[in-house]
Amino acid sequence: MSSLSASNLNSHNRGEVAVSIKNLNVVYKTTLEKRPTLKNRLLQFSSGKKQTRIVNAVQDFNLEVSYGSVLGVVGANGAGKSTLMRSISGILPPTTGRIELYGSVSTLLALGVGFSQEMTGRDNVILGGLAAGLSRADINNKFDEIVDFAELREVIDAPMRTYSSGMYARLAFAVAVTVEPDILIIDEALSTGDAHFKMKSLNRVKELRGHNRALILVSHALATIEEVCNEVIWLNKGKLIQKGDPVSVVAAYKKFLEVGSSPMIDEDV
Amino acid sequence: MSAIDVYEPFNRGLPPLKKYAKQLFGRRAFIAEFAKSELRRQNFGSPLGQIWLVLNPLLLSAVYFLLIIIISGQTDSARYAHLTAGLFAFYMITNSITAGAKSVTAGGRLILNSAFPRIMLPIAASVVELFKFIPTLIVLFAIHIILGLPITFALFWAIPLIFIFYIFSLACAILFSCINVYFRDIQNLLPYLTRTLLYLSPVLYESSALTEKLSILKTINPLYPMLDSWSRVMVKGELPFAADVFQSLIWTLALLAISSYLFLSREREFAVRI
Ligand SMILES: Nc1ncnc2c1ncn2[C@@H]1O[C@H](COP(=O)(O)OP(=O)(O)OP(=O)(O)O)[C@@H](O)[C@H]1O
Ligand SMILES: [Mg+2]
Repeated sequence: MSSLSASNLNSHNRGEVAVSIKNLNVVYKTTLEKRPTLKNRLLQFSSGKKQTRIVNAVQDFNLEVSYGSVLGVVGANGAGKSTLMRSISGILPPTTGRIELYGSVSTLLALGVGFSQEMTGRDNVILGGLAAGLSRADINNKFDEIVDFAELREVIDAPMRTYSSGMYARLAFAVAVTVEPDILIIDEALSTGDAHFKMKSLNRVKELRGHNRALILVSHALATIEEVCNEVIWLNKGKLIQKGDPVSVVAAYKKFLEVGSSPMIDEDV
Repeated sequence: MSAIDVYEPFNRGLPPLKKYAKQLFGRRAFIAEFAKSELRRQNFGSPLGQIWLVLNPLLLSAVYFLLIIIISGQTDSARYAHLTAGLFAFYMITNSITAGAKSVTAGGRLILNSAFPRIMLPIAASVVELFKFIPTLIVLFAIHIILGLPITFALFWAIPLIFIFYIFSLACAILFSCINVYFRDIQNLLPYLTRTLLYLSPVLYESSALTEKLSILKTINPLYPMLDSWSRVMVKGELPFAADVFQSLIWTLALLAISSYLFLSREREFAVRI
């Protein structure tokens, strides 16, 4: 749990380690019931059945991300990408293994704003920022920049429930890129915007790349990944399948998507 | 350069408390801001909303007063003051339980996407209830003057008592926010719980009316000594009994310790449970 603040903007040298992940495993243990309730628990207890599902969302994962690089993360739905990002952000503790961070991390992940649907966009930005550890002054300084970037000036004082999903994503993205953390994680926030905003956010990511931050980009937009990343990892069922230069990893992943299997994965089984 | 943050597996137990406290303190602006926007959202920012804030418990006390008159067939003004003062304080506590219960589950998206000390959420929820309680004190004061109740130095005891009420509310908010993550239907049970608590507390009746057989309530109901002291101060203008204040403090601190322990030892799991 790191705090973001303007004073954290110390520069890092290109190539310095930003994130180091060693032998990470994240296991979800959940009950099958839709909603955890006392009633269900009592019923289960009396019938003697305990139904739990175990999901190994991330398995034996090792990775180093350095400053000045943009890491792309690709993988099918349910591959464990968001789980991995949540672990790096300190939201989900590892089941085993260790994660080290050498800088402040933007915890404003994918749709990170959105504290309350009933509250206005303005309140959500402020509360989301404060929760992430920004100071009131930091937020005040950046607020106009955020709203202008998201181009949501007219609706910023309307409740979030009146936003479209694209508007939601815009605001989240604007917050995440404006707070300027050392390590920025963008989980699929690029994919919901319209063409105009996509272009704009892509340019923003490229701009940030020049600032010697560490960027992690999770996306299903493979062309974008190929264009902006220096390195790409491909996750499947929680395992790291391939890591390397964008062109070859994306090509292998594309092939897997078409055929539904790949020599890389088959070897693994 | 050494790592700024390290995340490792946790076993049931408390997170490093010093670091946690520092992070919590660093986010105190969140709590203030949350209270502000929540009050605004509930329309208490407008004058009409504030009128409703005091009108609502006043109407409630009028209804209960009617009940008391019908049951006992008699009435006096001190009785009304006792009822109103008790209800206002009681409702701060139960509103805090209700709002606290929802606080973590309602913050779902924020919990899934940002790392912060989760205990901020029930704290913020209870602060909102405190802010809603404070204006009702003016009403209590007005009633006090109108009914010509004694004005003594003992009235200053209201301040530490409100402090105890608040900490107790906070402890309840923390406890129920945590329970609600695991048992979502607890919210449906809350109305029964709060209603029962009301009947077990010296609000609708005065403590002196309690028969010997039921005096066990004084020991087992944490709210009993608090509300009894509150009435002594606010209605009679007398000093509270030291034993009652002491008992209230013990209950409050014990509940705060237990609920914080429960919450802190489990909050790292919340992101998976939401
Ligand atoms: N809260 C949860 N409880 C139990 N299992 C979960 C939970 N969240 C995710 N999972 C499981 O963990 C696995 C990885 O999910 P995750 O959200 O990390 O995938 P993803 O790679 O981000 O997928 P997508 O591309 O759809 O966003 C999935 O099998 C999913 O079912
Ligand atoms: Mg995902």
